[in-house]
Amino acid sequence: MPDRFSGAEETLTALAGTESRLYEPFLGLLPVDGLSISTFGDFLPAETISASDAQSLRLDELQFDLGEGPCWDALETGKPVFEPNIRERPNRIWPAFSEAIIADELGALFAFPLSLGPLRIGAIDLYTSRPSHLSDLDIRRTSGLATVVSRLVLSRAIRLSQSDSEVDTDTRRQFSRREVHQATGMVLSQLGISALDARLVIQGHTFAVGRSMQEIAEEIIDRRLSFAVNEHQIEESHD
Amino acid sequence: MIDETREDRLIDTFATLADTLVAGYDVVDLLQTLVESCASLFDIAAAGILLADADGELEVVASTSEASRLVEVMQLSARAGPCVECFTTGSVVSLPDVEDSPPAWQRFRDSAREQGFAAVHAIPLRLRKTTIGALNLLSSVPGALRQQDVRAAQALADVATIGILQERTVRESNSVREHLTIALNSRVVIEQAKGVIAHSHAVSMEEAFTLLRNHARSNHLMLSQVAQSLVDQTLVI
Repeated sequence: MPDRFSGAEETLTALAGTESRLYEPFLGLLPVDGLSISTFGDFLPAETISASDAQSLRLDELQFDLGEGPCWDALETGKPVFEPNIRERPNRIWPAFSEAIIADELGALFAFPLSLGPLRIGAIDLYTSRPSHLSDLDIRRTSGLATVVSRLVLSRAIRLSQSDSEVDTDTRRQFSRREVHQATGMVLSQLGISALDARLVIQGHTFAVGRSMQEIAEEIIDRRLSFAVNEHQIEESHD
Repeated sequence: MIDETREDRLIDTFATLADTLVAGYDVVDLLQTLVESCASLFDIAAAGILLADADGELEVVASTSEASRLVEVMQLSARAGPCVECFTTGSVVSLPDVEDSPPAWQRFRDSAREQGFAAVHAIPLRLRKTTIGALNLLSSVPGALRQQDVRAAQALADVATIGILQERTVRESNSVREHLTIALNSRVVIEQAKGVIAHSHAVSMEEAFTLLRNHARSNHLMLSQVAQSLVDQTLVI
């Protein structure tokens, strides 16, 4: 039902600012018992942003600590990971993670990557206590919602990072605007995404490399930094 | 003789602007025409219009050149320089010689000097008691503007004010703030569109602006419409 899906999309968007509740719209939409939304990887610190229950939180923590598991694979490959029957008939074995969940009451595990343009943000981990499948529709919906979640989670990280450095950037703001808008145009054209997403990509990259928006915008305008789409995947390139 | 010619051009300019105001127009396009008219009417090297955003900060919305250095000197002037003084006092501020800048204007002075601007005049965009922005005239030789030039420039600045506040899409709204936001937002979209063209055509931002403007003109489209379509990726030029 597309109306339930767009309803979930709207509910998600309305949760900007209260990201700990991001799991809520998924529960009503998908046949899962619990889920968590987390950031990790090279770009953002390992952190559970939103978890529906203790089991989900535990799955995140195990994967963070062990550095392996479905969420890591999802982020690395940029594709969802499906384990419909993780204990009886696993598709993959993770030496430490598989061992760690032996005593947990788990049937299926699914992980969807969170990313925006070239930025790898984190993952959504979902579980059921009995073996189960996601339908094609479930997968399409979750992938669609993952994009919305990616934006929200990235905006949150940027928002939190700005609170201390706001004063610092304020003095540059007037000069940076034009160039940031121009760079936004270049990035949206490079990636074929919306202006809002392109701006987020620039902000996210700025945040990741710990420099100013102005500097990053100048690099983009001078073509020293490009997010252009390669043949198979999107990559940042410095030349 | 020269004055007569100039007077003719002044009349032409006002006639063109009046036509535009009657016919329906794009606010950034109008302001662009206006600064270009200023550059040809007065003995100046560059001109620009700055408007106050929601935080009261002045932003360049139109300038005779898209070169970032020109934009920068005007933004500096809007921080601590003739432009912000004009904006806060609501009166014309003339700086016939940038070397006479007070110490607080040092960054502005350095930037102006570096780019060969010797004199700056700022004319307020006024609506009754509110000042909404400023028209800046930058000259490469020191000297004051002649009195009739100040009057003509003020009249052009008033046309700009009317243009901003009368824009069709927001005519029913009474809020000055809303009109300003529209004008400033169109500028944002134009900057983004410049970026799109700069990437797709592998050209500089200045060339991108020229391409954007030419496309709008030759197709009788509004500049901000073309810019929006490029940003939405519904148009490729």
